[in-house]
Amino acid sequence: MQKRNTYTEIEDFLSDESFQSWILLKIDNDGWEEWTLESRQRAKLVEDARHLLLAMKVPDSKLSTSDIRRALETTWSKIERKENQSNLSENSDSRFLRKCFFTGVAATLVFGLISVWFYKNNFQTDNKVVTYKELIDENSEGLVEQTNNSDKPQIITLSDGSSVLLQPNSKLSYPKIFTGNERKVYLSGEGFFEISKNPKKPFYVYANEIVTKVVGTSFRVKAYSDQPDVEVLVRTGKVKVRSNEMISKSDHEEIVLLPNQALRFVRNDLKFNKITNITEDVELAQSVGNIEQLSFEFSDIPVSQIFQTIEQAYLVDIDYPKDKLKDCHLTTSLSDQPLTEKLKIVCKSIGNNTSFEMNGNQITITSEGCN
Amino acid sequence: MKTSILEFSTFDDITLWTNLKEGDEKSFSMLFERYYADLVSYGNSLSPFHEKVQDCVQDVFTDIWVYRNSLQPSVVVKAYLLSSVRKRIARLHERDHIFRKATNTDSIAFLLEFSVEHELIDDDYATKEKVTYLNKLLNDLPPRQKEALYLRYHQGLTVEQIAEMLDVNYQSASNLLYRGLMALRKEWKGSFSLFLLLSSSSF
Repeated sequence: MQKRNTYTEIEDFLSDESFQSWILLKIDNDGWEEWTLESRQRAKLVEDARHLLLAMKVPDSKLSTSDIRRALETTWSKIERKENQSNLSENSDSRFLRKCFFTGVAATLVFGLISVWFYKNNFQTDNKVVTYKELIDENSEGLVEQTNNSDKPQIITLSDGSSVLLQPNSKLSYPKIFTGNERKVYLSGEGFFEISKNPKKPFYVYANEIVTKVVGTSFRVKAYSDQPDVEVLVRTGKVKVRSNEMISKSDHEEIVLLPNQALRFVRNDLKFNKITNITEDVELAQSVGNIEQLSFEFSDIPVSQIFQTIEQAYLVDIDYPKDKLKDCHLTTSLSDQPLTEKLKIVCKSIGNNTSFEMNGNQITITSEGCN
Repeated sequence: MKTSILEFSTFDDITLWTNLKEGDEKSFSMLFERYYADLVSYGNSLSPFHEKVQDCVQDVFTDIWVYRNSLQPSVVVKAYLLSSVRKRIARLHERDHIFRKATNTDSIAFLLEFSVEHELIDDDYATKEKVTYLNKLLNDLPPRQKEALYLRYHQGLTVEQIAEMLDVNYQSASNLLYRGLMALRKEWKGSFSLFLLLSSSSF
């Protein structure tokens, strides 16, 4: 407290806390009263300072201790709210970001899906239904078209000896003479194909969206333009089926079908369904035609019966010298052979002097009798 | 000058402040109880909206706790609190007078009227007169001088702290105080002698 001995101005006293508490609170811990009385000069300064302090009273805060405690409680709850708020806003920030992210992803996905759908849809509406006409227009070989408007299946013999049993309301386009290294025919509707074997010249059946490739075999193709499915059913040999390049250039998926296997191509979604057991498929089992049910495995069978089988199978008329051939019996396998091959084999088996002539559904056999 | 100062004098401000920064709720509460009333009365001297002043002071404390990690470690706690309240009230004014573009604390006027401690004047009539006259002179001072005096002698801030609070340099703050007192003393010396003359003549 020796500091106060150096005080020369009122300000020095005014800012002295101890002095303040002596004047205003009447708490004289430092002996101000005695100290003041030590000097007259000092007493005058102290008096002035005192007067000034007394004139500078600040209104007491009307806050009681309980007011302050309540204010403290209020403050704590404010703090709690603020901390929750800042946590919340942090959370909601990240939630907002996350939401943005997922919204973005979702939007992108939706956009992508729509694009794909739109693309596919547009692309497919152009190409999905590959019609017989388009296929024909693609070919520049100068095709012959055969239409079966009758109510009976019709036999068509191709230049390579292959035969096609064309069902009613079906069309087949084929070149008069197969040239090049491929044999291509175009089918609308249903046909049973028996292809003469020629490994060097694969045989292709174009039917709507699918292409069936064979070397030599018998199979049925059902491809009506107004039906949802395209079917291929194999009787003998081996065939490969793929979709037409016009619908998918990249998709070179080939499906191999073995005897008594079938394939159903769903045109809407361009899907191949392989049917390994045709007897289990009601639709296929019911639609089996004569030719597929008939057996061409003959062992010591009269020629007349063989011709009858062929007539039934191909719905043809066979005119043959009944008397001359009535005692002729044959053991032969005619499965997996086209009609002309069958006839050739039969004729050859009967004897050297036997031949056949085919004119539409009319087949004429000339023979001098069996050996 | 508040009794509460004495209550908690066992812990000094800076100890409580340091503990508060560490997350000690008790230290926070002690500081709050120590300064709340003072801060409210200072706030009241700056704003006519007394009902909002307590809110402001509470908000100052709220921010101190919420942002305790970013508080300066060494501060004069009282000066910091007073300054925070002042800024807070200035902001309150800004918001209320948004079109006035009041952007700094200069705009807030010190509204407090000093009064006379009548209970403490057990002196003669002349002293009472003198003090009353001094009070009038004090209240006639410009608001910033009044505020400087208030902060200096009531809140016990140093000249530096006052300069910082009022956003002026040391010399300006010192001048505010000095000029206030000088004017006061000049007035009071001249008129007091006249007063004395008059009063002595009346005896």
